[in-house]
Amino acid sequence: MSYKEIYNETIDERILTTVSNNGIKIFFMPKKGYTRKYAVFSTDYGSIDNVFVPLGEKEKIEVPEGIAHFLEHKLFEEEEANIFEEFSNIGAQVNAYTNFTQTSYLFYSTDNFYEGLELLIRFVQNPYLTEENVEKEKGIIAQEIRMYEDNPNWKVYFNLLRAMYHQHPVRIDIAGTVESINAITKDILYKTYNTFYNPSNMVLFVIGDLSFYELVRVVNEAEKKFDHVSDEILRFLPEEPDRIKERIVEEKMMTSMPIFTMGFKDRDVGYKGKEMIKKDVVTNLILDMLFGESTNFYNELYEEGLIDGSFGAYFSCKESYGHSIIGGQSNEPEKVYERVLGLLKLPAEELLKEEDFIRLKKNELGNFLLGMNSIEFIANNFTDLYFSDFLITDYLELLKEIQYQDIIDRFNFHFKEDNLSLSIIRPL
Amino acid sequence: MALKSERIKLADGIYLNLINEDKFKSNLLSFYIIRPLSRSEVTKNTLMSLVLKRANKNYPTSMELEKKLEELYGSNLSLGINKRGERQVIRFTMEWAKSSYVGEEYDGEVIGILKDMLFNPVLEGGAFLKSHVDQERENLRKRIENKINDKGSYAIERCIESMCNNERYGIYPLGYVEDLDEIDERLLYEHYKDIIRTSPIEILYVGRVDHRIVEAIKKDLNMERDEVITIPEDVLIDSVQTKNMVIDEMDVNQGKLVIGYRAGIHHQDSLYNPLLIASDILGGGPNSKLFKNVREKESLAYYISSTIYKYKSIMLIDSGINFDDFDKTCEIINQQLEELKAGQFTEEDIAKSVKSIVTNTESIRDSIFLISEFFFSQILSQDRRTLEEVIEDFKKVSKEEIVEAANRLKIDTIYFMRNKTK
Repeated sequence: MSYKEIYNETIDERILTTVSNNGIKIFFMPKKGYTRKYAVFSTDYGSIDNVFVPLGEKEKIEVPEGIAHFLEHKLFEEEEANIFEEFSNIGAQVNAYTNFTQTSYLFYSTDNFYEGLELLIRFVQNPYLTEENVEKEKGIIAQEIRMYEDNPNWKVYFNLLRAMYHQHPVRIDIAGTVESINAITKDILYKTYNTFYNPSNMVLFVIGDLSFYELVRVVNEAEKKFDHVSDEILRFLPEEPDRIKERIVEEKMMTSMPIFTMGFKDRDVGYKGKEMIKKDVVTNLILDMLFGESTNFYNELYEEGLIDGSFGAYFSCKESYGHSIIGGQSNEPEKVYERVLGLLKLPAEELLKEEDFIRLKKNELGNFLLGMNSIEFIANNFTDLYFSDFLITDYLELLKEIQYQDIIDRFNFHFKEDNLSLSIIRPL
Repeated sequence: MALKSERIKLADGIYLNLINEDKFKSNLLSFYIIRPLSRSEVTKNTLMSLVLKRANKNYPTSMELEKKLEELYGSNLSLGINKRGERQVIRFTMEWAKSSYVGEEYDGEVIGILKDMLFNPVLEGGAFLKSHVDQERENLRKRIENKINDKGSYAIERCIESMCNNERYGIYPLGYVEDLDEIDERLLYEHYKDIIRTSPIEILYVGRVDHRIVEAIKKDLNMERDEVITIPEDVLIDSVQTKNMVIDEMDVNQGKLVIGYRAGIHHQDSLYNPLLIASDILGGGPNSKLFKNVREKESLAYYISSTIYKYKSIMLIDSGINFDDFDKTCEIINQQLEELKAGQFTEEDIAKSVKSIVTNTESIRDSIFLISEFFFSQILSQDRRTLEEVIEDFKKVSKEEIVEAANRLKIDTIYFMRNKTK
């Protein structure tokens, strides 16, 4: 077996990597002394991938909203076995999640890990869909959608995305709508599955006190033989204008006080890898320097009672989109919005002090180290970064490289008033 | 390797518990203050904790304090307030990256900040800072009112509140809006002094135990104390006088059903582990009776589960359903519980539940925070068993015991949140 080893001295962690016989990329981080073992098997396919050319076809199709998430639910169905039961037979727990750009299947156990790994590979690679079991799932997912509809924090966020984006499918609810999932059929699900669950589009990450050799052997034995390992999947995104769609959107819901989020839409998109992750880290540092708990802005508004501990800001991006989100709850959300706009009128050098930059880099270093205690944190972040062509073990080196000038340049580019949307949920 | 804790008495009712575990990249120190859950002090305790977290004598503003924590590699200061049975537990925790990873020695400094938080508050004329108390009073008011935003946990809270209406367990752990106005900076400071002098305080440290760290924690903690209060035992009720049905009508899209049962089995009783397993078979996870029947078979819900509340020994089943499916769901739940009571489950079902509980218990070893919580919970419940012994005990449970425990469950309250009927 040929494999590669990546070691990072600062965090004292290593990653071993190889490719299975049928093309699944395997990454393993040994965690000596940890009781729990964790595996996450993911496809580079999420809710935004709803226009594509199906495997073996020539024409692109558009599929109903929420299909990636629907498929995630349905892969747990097998003809003979009950997947949940098989995992609980060996004392393991299994779960899955879908977001904008990926679908992940995971399990963890303290014993019988290799049996669980075999099960994981088998169930994800063997869909069993019937008209009947597809229909049955619609009721369950409808309840999941209803649950989110009653969650004001979720609503205020998706309303914001719909205000920022004109066309980009990031504005679509990940689970779809009760109407859109009703249009989902067995045939569309298979078509989607065959396109995106090809080994070439998937990655397996394993972490724990385990043998790399043994786990690779298990994967090679469990995996399905694929005649056609596809090259590149053709997926399409609509043309998205730089400017925001709407400035302010509001809705009323059962809440105790107004909730708001505002978002700066990023115009600097279209790349992945180190360059994108650097932009991500730089922008998050800026948000800490502008709105974090140690800033004048935060403390002034907190003391005036305009914001409370729920206030926070972060930047999130992928290849095709990005946005800085600032949110919380306030009896006067417009005032907070005005204050944000007022703040941004100040010159960058006055707003963003080098000493704050240096301190917040240390803060970020510590946060990352604390995160490295948790195998769940590592597994989830590994996959997310991997699909953006970046290895988690390179994170601290990237952080070190960031210069003060990067902060100033990015600030001047990204934080513009005409890129800012505001979403408010008010009590009924 | 088995986890062990070394317990050292520092003053009357103040104990330091040291757990040496070097596999993490951080160290963690927590102060747990234990109070009886009582309507007269619950609001004050919460407000006091929020005020203490704002600042201390050495870092008298939130901004200075936050800057310092950032400077110390994002040392993470957190506050937890919750009820454990009929007790209110206030937890102040600091977690910080080990100095070996950042090339700077700062353990003593972080430990000092956490201690100052509790023992050196910012004062002005013999009281807390008025501005801090005023601001935190408003924040707490909002926080209590915000309960409604998370419909799922609100429904659970409402069910407990209705069920334990005449018991201390019905008290909301963050306090009451109507009690806030009378608490000013002077009253709160007097209350604080009383809390510090009379409360049992458990200090838990998890990480690399070395001499310097232990000295830094112990320093100046041998303070004057009044008589330490005794925390009353939980009152367990195993019979149900009147069954309750509570309906809240609100503007919601999904109904929230919560059913409360009394078990009345004390956590030291030999039937307590069987009770946990019974609840797991019924509604512990995707392999449970409720998940299989309510979700997989009937497509009525996305989530349904049952949970045992340890100290009070009650069980809650909660789910999100269509308004019209209320009767049907209740019927299936009832039928599944009856099957459980009648012993309609296999040895295999038991083995699965035991494995799942054991896996989760074993996983405590992988989280620095959960290790601290585990040892604290053992102290609180006067349980001397090690983690390994706790795990072994789950494996000894028999089917007869599970059936017996299940038969102790008596329905008490059905809570339903639904849309407004016109």
